[in-house]
Amino acid sequence: MKSDKGLLAILRHTVRQMIRRPIYWFGFFGIPLFMFLFITSMMESGLPQHIPAALVDRDGTELSRNVGRTLNSMELANITRTPESYSAARDLMQRGEIYGFFLIPENFEADMLAGRSPAITFYYNMAYFVPGSMLFKSFKTTAVLTKAGVALKVADAVGADAGQLMPMIQPVNIQARAIGNPSLNYGIYLGNSFIPGILQLMIMLMTVYSIGEEIKRHTSPALLRMGNGSILEVIFGKLLPQTIVWWVIACFMVAWLYYYNGYTMQCPLWVMLLSELLFVLASQGFAIFVFGVLPSLRLAMSICSLLGVLSFSIAAFSFPVESMYPALKPFTYIMPVRYNFLIYADQALAGRELYFSRWWFAAYFIFILIPFIFMRRIKKAYADPVYVP
Amino acid sequence: MLRKLKNFFYVYVREFSLVFHDQGLILFFLFLPIAYPVIYSIIYNPELVKEVDMVVVDSDRTPLSRELTRMFDACDEAHVIGYATDLSEARRAMDDHKAYAILEIPEGFDKKITRGETANGVLYCDMSLLIRYRGFLMASTNVMMEMGGELMTKDIDNMAPLAETVMTGDLMPIDSIPMGNIRSGFDSFIMPGMLILILQQSLMLALGMAGGAKRENPAMLGYNPVNIAPSTLSTMFAQSLCYLTIMIVPVMFMIYYVPLMFRFPMAGNLFEEFLFIVPFLLATFGMGYAYQAIVMEREQVFISWVFTSIVFLFLSGLIWPRYALPPVWKALSCVIPSSWGVEGFVKMNSNGASLSQVRTEYINLWILAGGWWIVGWCSRKWVVKRQIFKRSETNKQESPA
Repeated sequence: MKSDKGLLAILRHTVRQMIRRPIYWFGFFGIPLFMFLFITSMMESGLPQHIPAALVDRDGTELSRNVGRTLNSMELANITRTPESYSAARDLMQRGEIYGFFLIPENFEADMLAGRSPAITFYYNMAYFVPGSMLFKSFKTTAVLTKAGVALKVADAVGADAGQLMPMIQPVNIQARAIGNPSLNYGIYLGNSFIPGILQLMIMLMTVYSIGEEIKRHTSPALLRMGNGSILEVIFGKLLPQTIVWWVIACFMVAWLYYYNGYTMQCPLWVMLLSELLFVLASQGFAIFVFGVLPSLRLAMSICSLLGVLSFSIAAFSFPVESMYPALKPFTYIMPVRYNFLIYADQALAGRELYFSRWWFAAYFIFILIPFIFMRRIKKAYADPVYVP
Repeated sequence: MLRKLKNFFYVYVREFSLVFHDQGLILFFLFLPIAYPVIYSIIYNPELVKEVDMVVVDSDRTPLSRELTRMFDACDEAHVIGYATDLSEARRAMDDHKAYAILEIPEGFDKKITRGETANGVLYCDMSLLIRYRGFLMASTNVMMEMGGELMTKDIDNMAPLAETVMTGDLMPIDSIPMGNIRSGFDSFIMPGMLILILQQSLMLALGMAGGAKRENPAMLGYNPVNIAPSTLSTMFAQSLCYLTIMIVPVMFMIYYVPLMFRFPMAGNLFEEFLFIVPFLLATFGMGYAYQAIVMEREQVFISWVFTSIVFLFLSGLIWPRYALPPVWKALSCVIPSSWGVEGFVKMNSNGASLSQVRTEYINLWILAGGWWIVGWCSRKWVVKRQIFKRSETNKQESPA
């Protein structure tokens, strides 16, 4: 008979639990792996292309038809409709059939040549941020090109040499270089923040669940006896196998993002692996901290869900911290995934020296150490289990 | 008939007492739909990303290159924090998280323009957040156009003084008009859709937890959560009616007061929006009943459902337009109420579409409601109910008292 006390016994108990219960398989492997696949495959094409748009041509001349051709040659826009009027185009936009439209007014060419400054107007639907912004870009380029063509025509008409004018259409050219993501791939941008966000959510939930369910099932006193009354031994025994599983998944995540999907990684591999290991520990630490403050299974899981989902916003994955209200800024730093994101941005994306990310790494350790303050509370809850439904 | 009605009413009333005795459910029914929209709205409420820091490496040092820098600084989107002597110093500022872009003006910038050539500059952008890059890109486009326009007018004047007569003012003004979200703000863009997602997820968690509770040991909960009339369908209707009653206030708050408080677009007709939400809620209830089949205990809803918020966010078309979704995910998005709900609600609330303009979404929601109720009925009849009876059998055996 093997001894049923000590760290080994607890480890055995935990591993058996993890293997036998479907919910563990689901939470450890099913959900994270599904989400890796889901998020990266969602944005496989990098950028949404051929955004449906419309051209309202009230002029119907050679010049206005040219505009249509220019618009259609843009990769991002796709002129699918040619409504007769503004209100017809607006109706199409409200129905969601197009994301924007370009309006050429009546007598456009005639007014132009007579110097009456007719205006070109384009409308784009910013209720949908990404397609709206992209259409804006395509529309603006088209409008500027049209304007340049018109300028040449006018200059020609007043006797200037068009060939001489060519370089003057764009005397200043500023090239934007997108560091680490030259093709503006949306997958690189969202995958690198949302996937660790999912991982953090699942780590926190599974950690709290596995610690808390012992209280719910009133098995915690027995577990405490197995650990010879040491709560540290119990928690360590319960979480170590999970840490290993999570780290393996996190390593797979690194492989998935940077090798299979070929996302930019401009730092040595070990930096990212180390960051993920500390991130796993930090997320577990944060979960134990939550459970220590609120040793009730449901409440602790509610808080972890709340914060886990809120992380996607409060950790500033899409809206920058410097633009938030000052009172909110400190809260952006309360979740481990924020540091994972900052390390990724510094190391993998921009290829900075490790020195510049030192504080982010240091922050992980706060999350790892903070639960130790609450061990006594957890021990009390374990010794005298009370289930709060 | 009368007995059936009585049963129905009994379930309806008893469901209220169950919900209000269960803190977990109250949290999902009332706290989540009220607190979450407010928290999210506050995070994104500054709407625009303005004055993002950048550094300039000016190797030309002429009035024209300084003018270029000034123009960047004058843009709403960018803020020049200073000059760096060379690229490595500028890079150091970026590495230190003091700036998010570098503008490099090469030597001979001014000379090239005077010679009538195109002068090049380079803008290096940090890509961790696309919204910053977008701002810099807009700033640089505006600066290029403005400077180009000024220089071109000057050149044409020099070359052909007569042109002046034709070229007074702008040759061809370009107006760009954002619609739906006229400030192009981030909050106004994401929140109307998020409201619908939050609504769906709160209800799903609540129904899942209620379904989970039915299988828990009543002794553990302190009350008996089983509330079932002889007819499965009648039970489902009675419970849904109870949830609808509870949700009146949160739904009002979400679709009227939240947009009002945070100044989101409110272009829709409120009454029509309510009409639109009804099939959405019904479809969500149906999906919730179906979900109850796989919830074994209360707390498992967190593990098996919370992550879907991200899935549904992507499927709703808010981040990635739905027409561009890969076919598998597009098919999946079609059976999720929030996909149609978000799409229709955003069109109504932000773009001012009428109910007849979102007919497709509206009809699809009713179809989904029907479909999910059938699945939900199967789940309740053959999985949930059966397991409850199994549980009560074992309970009887466990406690002969």
